[in-house]
Amino acid sequence: MSFNAEKEITTMWKAMQGAQKDIGMIWYRWRKAVAETGNGNISPKELSLKAAEIYGDELGHGFLPRLNWLKGEEGFLKGLCGNIIGEWKKQGALVEVKPGDKPFEAYLIWTRCPWPTYCNQYGVDMEEDVQNCDQILQSILVPVNKFFGVNYSIETLKAIPRGQGQCLRRLYKVE
Amino acid sequence: MSKMLFEWDYSGYPGAESYPHLFKPIQIGNLMIPNRIKYAATEDNFNTYDGYITDADVEYMRLRARGVVGGMAFMQGVYMDEPGHGQGYIGQAAAWDDKFVPGLKRIADAIHEERAVAGYQLMHCGRVGGHRPHLAKGPSDVPQRLRVFAPVSEMTKDEIKQCIQEHVDATRRGIEAGFDIIEISGIVGYLLSNFISSYTNRRTDEYGGDIYGRMKMVVEIIEACKAECGENIPLGIRLVADEKLDDVRGNTVEESLETYKIAEDAGSDYISATVGWQESIYPVISRDVPQGSWLYVSKQAKEKVSIPITMAYRLFKPDMPNEKIGAGELDVWENCRPQIADPLMPKKVLEGKEDEVRHCVACNLCLARLFRDAPMTCYINPVCAHEHDPAFADPENAEEEKNVMIVGAGPAGLECAYMAAKRGHEVHVYEKNDKAGGTILDAMNAPYGDQELYICIEYQLKMCEKYGVNFHFGTEVTEEMIEDELPDSVVLATGPVYAKGSEDAGFNRDNVVNVLDVLGERVEVGDNVVVWGNRKPGIGVALYLAQKGKKVTLVGEEQRAGFDVNPSFKWRYMIYLRQNGVTAYNDCTISEINDGQAIVRTFDGYRFPVNCDHLIVSVREKNESLKKAVQSEGIECFEVGDALVPRNMSSAVHDGYRIGIRI
Repeated sequence: MSFNAEKEITTMWKAMQGAQKDIGMIWYRWRKAVAETGNGNISPKELSLKAAEIYGDELGHGFLPRLNWLKGEEGFLKGLCGNIIGEWKKQGALVEVKPGDKPFEAYLIWTRCPWPTYCNQYGVDMEEDVQNCDQILQSILVPVNKFFGVNYSIETLKAIPRGQGQCLRRLYKVE
Repeated sequence: MSKMLFEWDYSGYPGAESYPHLFKPIQIGNLMIPNRIKYAATEDNFNTYDGYITDADVEYMRLRARGVVGGMAFMQGVYMDEPGHGQGYIGQAAAWDDKFVPGLKRIADAIHEERAVAGYQLMHCGRVGGHRPHLAKGPSDVPQRLRVFAPVSEMTKDEIKQCIQEHVDATRRGIEAGFDIIEISGIVGYLLSNFISSYTNRRTDEYGGDIYGRMKMVVEIIEACKAECGENIPLGIRLVADEKLDDVRGNTVEESLETYKIAEDAGSDYISATVGWQESIYPVISRDVPQGSWLYVSKQAKEKVSIPITMAYRLFKPDMPNEKIGAGELDVWENCRPQIADPLMPKKVLEGKEDEVRHCVACNLCLARLFRDAPMTCYINPVCAHEHDPAFADPENAEEEKNVMIVGAGPAGLECAYMAAKRGHEVHVYEKNDKAGGTILDAMNAPYGDQELYICIEYQLKMCEKYGVNFHFGTEVTEEMIEDELPDSVVLATGPVYAKGSEDAGFNRDNVVNVLDVLGERVEVGDNVVVWGNRKPGIGVALYLAQKGKKVTLVGEEQRAGFDVNPSFKWRYMIYLRQNGVTAYNDCTISEINDGQAIVRTFDGYRFPVNCDHLIVSVREKNESLKKAVQSEGIECFEVGDALVPRNMSSAVHDGYRIGIRI
């Protein structure tokens, strides 16, 4: 049979990894373009954070058709966590969800993420990578909270760009 | 003292004997309505972009008014604010100024000329509106889940007061235009339903909170409009009895039914009961929902209030509403889509001509077009939207009688046949099978309501009988037959041919079968099936086999499955494919077929194997088999339906009609 599964999968996997890498690199290429052409009138960091806000807002709106209240608030939170980690997995991160200590609380744990590498490669302050992710995640929650009439927040407890080995974030219901 | 606008005597009509409850009067407010039939307000996008009534809308309504034989005919809901926050449809009629009254009067007059009761509806579209300003208004700024709608801005109290006044002003204009009955729309996601629902109303002031707070604006509108109407003009409201929004924390059914009581107490003279929202994830009115599914809703509503309850929603035939009216579980049979498909449907029922009704097939193409700024059309009624054009809607007889040969008795051939015969031609339909229906005969075996498609064929056959079409079943037309018969015109309605695929890839193997043979149960297939072609025929057979327990993979070159299915129905199919475990590979083709395996190739060249005992071909191509023979004899030749370009049943019917009025 002429079909070689290993060859097909390998080729496809390499193409996917290339595409993942390009997504991250393009973010920092735009940032660099602003830094080199903005004449100091535009802060590359502000631009980056604004892009993160837009990115998160669009992701949040995109989650709305995929989230529901059919299994109550616990089901809703599970769905929200699943949608969030799915976005980072698509980009090449390893992320998992663990239940929180209280009701309506969950921990999101990134054990591997390509974004700090891009940040480092373009010579950007590593803390900006943490802020970008925070901004994306907070912006996701704005339309989701409004749509479902809930108030969830997320806080960063550990971050790979800070040399802490993993990104640990607490997603919780604000009482 | 109630008044009757037009006297109607139904005695002696067969329909009044068969369906006695439909053709007895009912009092609504102080108005006596001769029967229990209502054409429900329906947008059509026929009017000008700035809200003026057009000839198309007047003639559309005139025909529907003729159809209700003395019952209520409601024009589409009007928007009431100049900026257009309440406008949800690009061709929606306006009533925000006195300058619109003359146009509205044309519609009221047209309805009265048919001796029907003229209904007028107020419709602020709320979060479905804001078409021109690209900003919708609502009780709260809850984000949109469907991207087709504009963002929502929370209404201030001043805006609420202004909106109430706009309802009153628009009511006055409707009365000045001559309408007999006024209706407020509070359904499916429009403004008042937004205020009522816990999903979209998060206000903490007096217009929010519990169901009584959320109904406050509705109550104020009913009271204010009722005062404007006076004693002689009844006022009703359309309210949702079950939002079907449990996934987004919408109202409970108990809350929704409580709104009926509140509306009655506020002075509403009747309530039109509905189910679902446009944002609901559950199907309510599509073909996959059995007829009569929502009749329990009208029963619940009747138990809650003492004013009349009217309802539509999958009540396409007269038997069920007649029975429920007789049982006291419904008061008035509403319909819109059945009269889009056949404007004279209730009239035909009354006259005992039910077999001449062209029944709606619940495809929702009419609604899908409205959301995409297109004028309404009907899947199976080619005349819809052409009522104002007599040359199209009611063509004259042909100047010269011709001998017309129609090859194929599918929906395209039959539609063409009766129209050509109606215009005076001698029409002969040749069909190789022993039964009419063409592709539909097998295609209707696909699940989720496709059996209902055959009612189109039944209607066409009745029309063929009425106009004297000659049938030759079991007769396959050959080139020699055309040479012998030498008809004046030939219409090729032969249906499509199915793509052969490359022999090198294995498409000539025994395990490659045709979609119609599978749906017609003329071939058996194995447990693992690959369907080639991701349009409706492929989706239909995939679901058919998945429901029989087969592992089905759908492979097609279109970027998305269901390219030929209208958007208002397609989302259902996407859910059903997932629910039935069908794997879909779009933007792909089949590069190789082997024993037990097919190789799928992505558009960019990647290949992967899929288990495949049988490969089902559903990809269609045009059929030119007899075209050269006809043309070489110098005979006038037409092609219709899938023989011309493979599409869907709607295109077949519309093609057939257009050629039928042209020969």
